[in-house]
Amino acid sequence: MGSVLTFFLLAGVYLALSGSLVTSNLIAAALIALGIMLLLRMGQRPERIQTLPRVLWTLLRYLGMLLADMVSSGVQVARIVLDPKLPIQPAILKIPCEEQSDLISALSAHAITLTPGELVVAIDEQGGMYTHCLDMSLSVAQRVELLRHHRAMLKTILGETNETREAP
Amino acid sequence: MIETWVEWTLIFSLAVHIVLTGVCVWRVWRGQNVIDRLIGADLVGTLALAVLVLIALIERTSIYFDVALGLAALGFMASIVLAKYLADQRVL
Amino acid sequence: METLFGLIVILAVLIGTAFSVIGVIGFIRLPDVYTRLHATGKVSVFGVVLLLLAGLFWTPVSPGKDIVLIGLLLLAAPVASHAIASAAYRLGIPPQQLMRNDLAEVVEKENDPTPQG
Repeated sequence: MGSVLTFFLLAGVYLALSGSLVTSNLIAAALIALGIMLLLRMGQRPERIQTLPRVLWTLLRYLGMLLADMVSSGVQVARIVLDPKLPIQPAILKIPCEEQSDLISALSAHAITLTPGELVVAIDEQGGMYTHCLDMSLSVAQRVELLRHHRAMLKTILGETNETREAP
Repeated sequence: MIETWVEWTLIFSLAVHIVLTGVCVWRVWRGQNVIDRLIGADLVGTLALAVLVLIALIERTSIYFDVALGLAALGFMASIVLAKYLADQRVL
Repeated sequence: METLFGLIVILAVLIGTAFSVIGVIGFIRLPDVYTRLHATGKVSVFGVVLLLLAGLFWTPVSPGKDIVLIGLLLLAAPVASHAIASAAYRLGIPPQQLMRNDLAEVVEKENDPTPQG
């Protein structure tokens, strides 16, 4: 995510919380967003204007996907809980998938936890994940495919992040 | 007309959520192990958030939403810090 | 319009309450810590999000705070359950009825007696 998108995100959150659209409040929002970006060194890379529509479209698709995942996982876990036989086949599976960037690993772990019946327990150094799942309906290959898809979308949204894992 | 129905629905939901909070507090008291109790405490936080939202809808003021925002942010951090403390015996 | 919004609020509140109840039932019925986290971290949070969505249609509750709260919950709930699950595994609380465990050999390898750092 480049500087422009970060700025509008921060200013939008401030405006949503303060709940007024007066001119002075807009100026305050811009100043606060700029201050946060300078203090936390967010969004150092400038936005590439050509890719902005694609980034926004991918962001929307990603958020929609998260919402749909949340609804379906809520319904699925509710069905399991209400079934008198309690049909669970829990397992801890390894999803092997290489990833260098810490940020993308963390965000894709968040996305995987929102998908039905999955809970990320640990991430190893190469970016592979260990998930606790309620049933083993999906094979490991399908899960790897899903994770690749999530990470490709995140890379489009965030841009090529060059922060790498620190050596322990 | 519809307002009374909405109000009764909200009050019913509020009563259900308060009962659920009581059940969770009982589970925290009589948990199987420490993580079980931590999950119970986390769930109490979520249900308290629901109670605050319902009170805001019944009273029709958004001041309870500020409280709910603070509770959500603090409860999230409390869960994470407690989990880390229990696992590593230190916070940082 | 008022009637339509009222009906939406009633529906969302009832479904959200049902999901909260199911979340607590799952918390009591499911066998171990990890499966319980599925119930609390997904079903209960979904219930609260439905209540907040009802708030969007019920004036004069401010919609901005509502949307920020929904975003905060969606962002925070999986992270909290992830932290609790990881703490449970590191404390050595055993998962029940497990069909397969890929993490076991890794943790055993890390817990060798040589001191670290």
